[in-house]
Amino acid sequence: MIAVWDLGVRLFHWLLVAAVGIAAVTGLFGPLNRLSLHVAAGATIGGLLVFRIVWGFAGTTYARFSSFAFPPSAIAAYVKELQAGRHAVYLGHNPLGSVMVFALLAILALNVTTGVIVLGGVDKQGPLAFAVSYETGTTLRAIHQILAYVLLVMIVGHLTGVVHESFRSKAKPVLAMITGEKPDTSVAITANPARAWPAFAGLALLVLLTGAAYEAIALSSRPALGVPTGSLDSTYVKECGSCHMAYPPSLGTSSRWIALMAGLADHFGEDASLEPKLMSSIRAYLINNSAEKWDTRPSHALAESNPGDPLRLTATPFWSRTHRAIPAAVFRSKAVGAKGACNACHGDAFTGRFDPQKIEIPARALQ
Amino acid sequence: MKVCCLSACLVAAACAVAHAGSGDTQKLLDFYANQAKATDSAFGGFSAERGESLFRSNSTGGKPDTPSCTVCHTKDPRNVGQTRAGKDIDPMAVSANPQRYTDQEKAEKWFGRNCRNVLGRECTAREKGDFITFMLTQ
Repeated sequence: MIAVWDLGVRLFHWLLVAAVGIAAVTGLFGPLNRLSLHVAAGATIGGLLVFRIVWGFAGTTYARFSSFAFPPSAIAAYVKELQAGRHAVYLGHNPLGSVMVFALLAILALNVTTGVIVLGGVDKQGPLAFAVSYETGTTLRAIHQILAYVLLVMIVGHLTGVVHESFRSKAKPVLAMITGEKPDTSVAITANPARAWPAFAGLALLVLLTGAAYEAIALSSRPALGVPTGSLDSTYVKECGSCHMAYPPSLGTSSRWIALMAGLADHFGEDASLEPKLMSSIRAYLINNSAEKWDTRPSHALAESNPGDPLRLTATPFWSRTHRAIPAAVFRSKAVGAKGACNACHGDAFTGRFDPQKIEIPARALQ
Repeated sequence: MKVCCLSACLVAAACAVAHAGSGDTQKLLDFYANQAKATDSAFGGFSAERGESLFRSNSTGGKPDTPSCTVCHTKDPRNVGQTRAGKDIDPMAVSANPQRYTDQEKAEKWFGRNCRNVLGRECTAREKGDFITFMLTQ
């Protein structure tokens, strides 16, 4: 047996499998409140990529990019050999496999990057929350999703290659990625031996990762773009918050607030009339702080109303879509009371942020 | 019958004084009593019994979602109620919530809104006084 994959490569590979698995499951199937796990998986992937790039220059023979950076002509030749049914055996990555490795690294790096932008623009969290608009965030979210599907296809391709390799040759690629060793065959093409520089790699990693972490924390503490700060107007809370949760003005567009305040005598089936003076001061407060002034997800997503019930936030297409999995009994329960009681489950409802991580349906409402 | 009614009034009034413990509530009752006298010379005081039947009655005159006070305030005024939007309502009964009926502006605001909601009209001063008198006995 001959040592091929060093410990760094093997650890990288299996940790990456775990992190990508968690990111894929939480991203594709996870409820929104698993966002933190998804973000943690993404950050782990980012860290692993930094390690792998450093190790690509400072690892042992077959960890080094130089051992599997083939010119396009070599790749084309290898594909031709494959089609002809005869091809050379490489101890490390073969030319086609190397294309997959670089493509995987590139697409993972792209999806970590787009993920940070989406997190900043859509969720107003993380290092780019101060800079990215909701619109940019949603555009990048579409790209992030497409890249995730491309990645899944590539993983299938990678697994197909591994299975193919397992049957075609005596090499056991899965076992080799565990033990690091392959059978010593004299016919295999080898690379120029190189020794690892673990001290250099460790130092480089320490500098890069602590620098990135420091920078990420510093940027994350900047005020998020277009997110309301400060508390709600006390008169508004007193007058409007006695029957229902005092909805942050950022949840409604100015046209919605204007229409709402014009119809207080029949306010969703109840008389909620106010003294004219009080009414106009509250109306001014709502308009001055309406959705158009902010850049949060609710301020954008709730703007589209339901033509059949245009003023009700809980009738909007976005609200319906994001709450469709919640049984009607939860809303009727004593602990929640009604669909409009956002704060029963959204711990940050009064801020207007509605972070996915702040959602917790009260246990009593689920019984 | 007259004696019975009168004694009920007296009991209610006595309870009112006992429960109120607050001059503000008495001021509010006086405010409604004066209004009631001004429109009805035969006004003979408030009745907890009439207040209770107002509280429990069903009406078709108001908004369809709120046919009765009890829809939101529950059948027992000592309970915490819940608005249709899911917010808790402090108990109506003075024994459970001594802050009730101590603020004329607040009382007028909510009688105004909720009489229109449940009955589809303004309440009379006598009805408001009856209602408070009933809540003082609870």
